[in-house]
Amino acid sequence: MEQTIISLKNFIPECVLIVTILVCLLADLIVRKKSAVVAVIGIAGLFVSGWFVIGQFGVKESVFFGMVVIDPYSVFFKLLFIVSTVFIILFSLASKEIKDSTHTNEHVYLMISLTLGANLMASSVNMLMMYLALETVSITSYVLAGYMKKSKRSSEAAMKYVIYGAASSGIMIYAMSLLYGYTGSMNIFEISSILSKMGGTNPMLVIVMVMILAGFGYKISSVPFHFWTPDVYEGAPIPVTGFLAVTSSAAGFAVLIRFFSVTFLKSTTMLNGSLQIIDGIRWTEIIIVLSVASMIIGNFVAVWQMSFKRLLAYSSIAQGGYIMLGLVVANQQGLTAIFVYLVAYMIMNLGAFYALIMISNKLNSDDINDMKGFAYRAPAVAVGMGIFMFALSGIPATVGFVGKFYLFSALIESNMIWLALVGMMNSVVSLFFYIKVLKYMFLSKPDEENSGKIYYGIAGYVLLFILVIPTLLLGIYFGPIVRFAEMSAVMFGLK
Amino acid sequence: MLTQFGQVLIFMIIAAGFVAVAFIAARLIGPKLPSKGKNSTYECGEDTEGDTWLKFNVRYYVIALIFIIFDVEIVFLFPWAVVFKEMGLIAFIEMAIFLIILILGFVYAYAKGDLHWDKPRPVIPALDRQIFKSEI
Repeated sequence: MEQTIISLKNFIPECVLIVTILVCLLADLIVRKKSAVVAVIGIAGLFVSGWFVIGQFGVKESVFFGMVVIDPYSVFFKLLFIVSTVFIILFSLASKEIKDSTHTNEHVYLMISLTLGANLMASSVNMLMMYLALETVSITSYVLAGYMKKSKRSSEAAMKYVIYGAASSGIMIYAMSLLYGYTGSMNIFEISSILSKMGGTNPMLVIVMVMILAGFGYKISSVPFHFWTPDVYEGAPIPVTGFLAVTSSAAGFAVLIRFFSVTFLKSTTMLNGSLQIIDGIRWTEIIIVLSVASMIIGNFVAVWQMSFKRLLAYSSIAQGGYIMLGLVVANQQGLTAIFVYLVAYMIMNLGAFYALIMISNKLNSDDINDMKGFAYRAPAVAVGMGIFMFALSGIPATVGFVGKFYLFSALIESNMIWLALVGMMNSVVSLFFYIKVLKYMFLSKPDEENSGKIYYGIAGYVLLFILVIPTLLLGIYFGPIVRFAEMSAVMFGLK
Repeated sequence: MLTQFGQVLIFMIIAAGFVAVAFIAARLIGPKLPSKGKNSTYECGEDTEGDTWLKFNVRYYVIALIFIIFDVEIVFLFPWAVVFKEMGLIAFIEMAIFLIILILGFVYAYAKGDLHWDKPRPVIPALDRQIFKSEI
């Protein structure tokens, strides 16, 4: 009882989010029509929550009887989720698909609920809590994917997502029960110390690991578990697609990295900054396979896509592969590289999705063929999209390059040069399909019948500009994000 | 030496054996006199009608979901009521917060009309052409 009340002190950001959800729900019931008021309340709540999260920086505490920890690692992810949710709510105000749906303002508090779940995913250290948080995120994203009730594609996307999600989280919780049966504990720190004593000679542990990866891998859409991604991304409204690509998959990474680095590493033996893997459990090798497969399949399949949303879906599968490269190294430097990459990924992906929202609002389509000569019709948006595409492919002087640079240098320093080479070669392939979009936009002339100029409101340009600035600025002056990442790469219980 | 799970296994084997013995004995000893009444589906004495695989209206599921929410609420309320005297004010506040969140959800479902059982809306046919006036 006492501890619960003391724990609440460290749980203020989440409490603020819960209150925000409830207030938004009430406000939605009062206004009873589409209005920006609910979104404004939601964003205000997110800002307050973010303020309290910043206040938690540097705290290292375990709360609620070892269910949840507050550490720089979770603070980093919480800030990432909150910032991206603010942007996504702004996007949803601009999106025509959301405006045309039969719902009033439900998307605002559904998105905040997803953020709440993602925050818990980043900070939970108990397998049960991890599962619950993952389900909170999953269930809200099923609802969001089917947000356009009248659209057949949206409903189909939601249905596919539910079935796939249910199957993979079922597999994961079965693996968790096996791990619990083997070690007798739900807390990942206790599991780690028990496994260190026993040694990992039991082949069941490998099966457990693969099955748990099925659950987490589906959230980050890593390759053998990626089949839902293109269909769901294509069917869902674009703001939701962006949300799934950024927040939901970053949350998947948060829980995946914490689970694997705490559970299957010897936390007691630390030799000059590199962590030691428990004997017999070579999880980094499994991650290498998944990562290389994600990069290759993501990039090569994206080459053939003519739907922009599907292209971005395969691109985010490939980006997930790059991020997993940082996990392979399993040391502090790798974690820092992952954090730098995640910040870059958030900025450029949000930008790409926003530019796509602007385009498809006017064209009513996300087919690349329809974007022929878009640069002649709306030059500012096309240039913005160009910058984000260059950033996603990792061209220097954009934030995407910084992310890739840190990832590959972490790999090279741990003598995994061939893996860095595979990553670089994949970047070259990815350049092809990112540039393909620009080729259609800049080098083809628009069709005769629709070649008129397209204009947007001033707010649309401002938001695009806000996203373009960090993409370019952080590509040149990247000191702050690297320092921030280094400070955040500290996990509770690990030195 | 049996582990505790071994004892469970023996229990399960015996349970399965009981079922098997009962079925086999019934088949061997029992008289078999089938008739039309005996072979029909039992439905509280009524004659059965239609197919088993009929579609349920989606509204049943909405009601069922709301029912589950309150079912779970009772599960939480019961242990709370047991220890309420020792815990005092804090327990009261905690449960109040919990109930407010739940009731807000219920208010939402009510306000959005999910508890409204759709009444039939008769469509009165409208004529787009009045023959009597225009033809003459």
